[in-house]
Amino acid sequence: MKTLKKVSAKQTTKLVTFVLFLTLLFSGVQTNAQILVKGVVKGKTATETEVLNGANIYLKGTAIGTSSNKKGEFTFPRKLKIGDVLVFTYLGYEKKFVKINNDATNLAITLLEDANEMLGALNTNKRFKSKRKQGN
Amino acid sequence: MQKRHLILCLLFSVIGFAQQADFKEIDFSKADYIAEKVKVKRLYNLNKLTFNLTQNLPTDVEKVRAIYMWICTNIANDFHLFALNDRKRNKYAQDSIKLVNWNSKFKKKLFKKLLKRKKTICTGYAYLFKEMCNFAGIESKMVNGFGRTSAVDFSKLTMPNHTWNIVKLRNKWYLCDPTWSAGISLPQNGKFQFSYNNGYFLTEPKLFFQNHFPLKKEYALLGSKTPSFKTFTELPLLYGDAFKYIKTSPFPLKMYHQIKRDTIISFKYLLKENSTPKKIKFIVNNGNSNIEAKPATISLKKNELTLQHLFTKKGYFDLHLFFDDKIIATYIFDVKK
Repeated sequence: MKTLKKVSAKQTTKLVTFVLFLTLLFSGVQTNAQILVKGVVKGKTATETEVLNGANIYLKGTAIGTSSNKKGEFTFPRKLKIGDVLVFTYLGYEKKFVKINNDATNLAITLLEDANEMLGALNTNKRFKSKRKQGN
Repeated sequence: MQKRHLILCLLFSVIGFAQQADFKEIDFSKADYIAEKVKVKRLYNLNKLTFNLTQNLPTDVEKVRAIYMWICTNIANDFHLFALNDRKRNKYAQDSIKLVNWNSKFKKKLFKKLLKRKKTICTGYAYLFKEMCNFAGIESKMVNGFGRTSAVDFSKLTMPNHTWNIVKLRNKWYLCDPTWSAGISLPQNGKFQFSYNNGYFLTEPKLFFQNHFPLKKEYALLGSKTPSFKTFTELPLLYGDAFKYIKTSPFPLKMYHQIKRDTIISFKYLLKENSTPKKIKFIVNNGNSNIEAKPATISLKKNELTLQHLFTKKGYFDLHLFFDDKIIATYIFDVKK
């Protein structure tokens, strides 16, 4: 009960002001950004289309983002406003930019396979050996 | 007009020797420390990973360094995937539709494995590097082309076999190869060994070209001086460790030489700062046995190392150069009477 006594009238006023400030702040945010963006990310290749696990979804120009789950589903961690641009990426697929409008509450995004070929040369420090013809 | 050209040429020759030295004033220890501390089990959240690696670093080159270092010390080269792809690509080499379908199927498999198990092959490294740079707001591209190692036989190689990157810093493009910086593959037992090689990070373009021929010539960053593919395949063979010691290797310019007995052969290398080898030797192979030979002369002026060797017998020889018992380069000498 010691702690209760310590709360002075001055502090109470401070607290009330703070709560009021918070309410104002959030009501402000809500009028601007109120769209909760959800959706599913798929990938389309030459042979099939399937959901992408671990596609990256972020707000253009920021580090605010999330990634899709095993079912390709995501919920964007922050409410967005009309005109915000989300970027969808997954390795091996073309990046996609999506402008948010009122219908963005349930997005179905399909990324298209890019044209790059998969290559790999092994790094080795094995000593080179000339191929010698018979008699050389 | 001519004067202007001259100035431009001078400017380019100066730039040509800069590269990692362009960032001499920057200490990479903070970037390297962050790369060492950041650990993730899976790569499902690349933008968050990139953010964690780069948020506390002030310059773009440090951000690139942290990303590069993280990839090179966390992503393993998957020998089985490599072998599988190699086999199929050769099998479908004459059938473009099957090749495209294989590539598409393989790509999916590759990236799933990369995100889940942190294992991949070259193109996976290059994709990851490019993507993470882009997350950090830095421009980077993948470069497909021909990578040259002792295991590559150009008489059989018809398609590109390797992917690396270029990255834009302070408005200028630089070269790097995360796959070959990460470590060494041991095909004998299908294993990969992490062993960071700083020689492939922001490498001097002339040196990088020794074992990287890009399909798009401009990505060699050598401008109009880019040599032809034929010239590329005839260059001396350099190994990964060469990139730790050498800035450029002015001569010999070719791997194969036909010479007469008792001719003195000279070798010249410009060494990087603080990387003078303590021990230098040749190993000469005549097809049956290896003979160790000390260079006939060794001279070191500032960072310019010149070696000489004398062939006294006729024969067909592979000559390997070693610095501190690490293989650096191979040359072939067909010695006639």
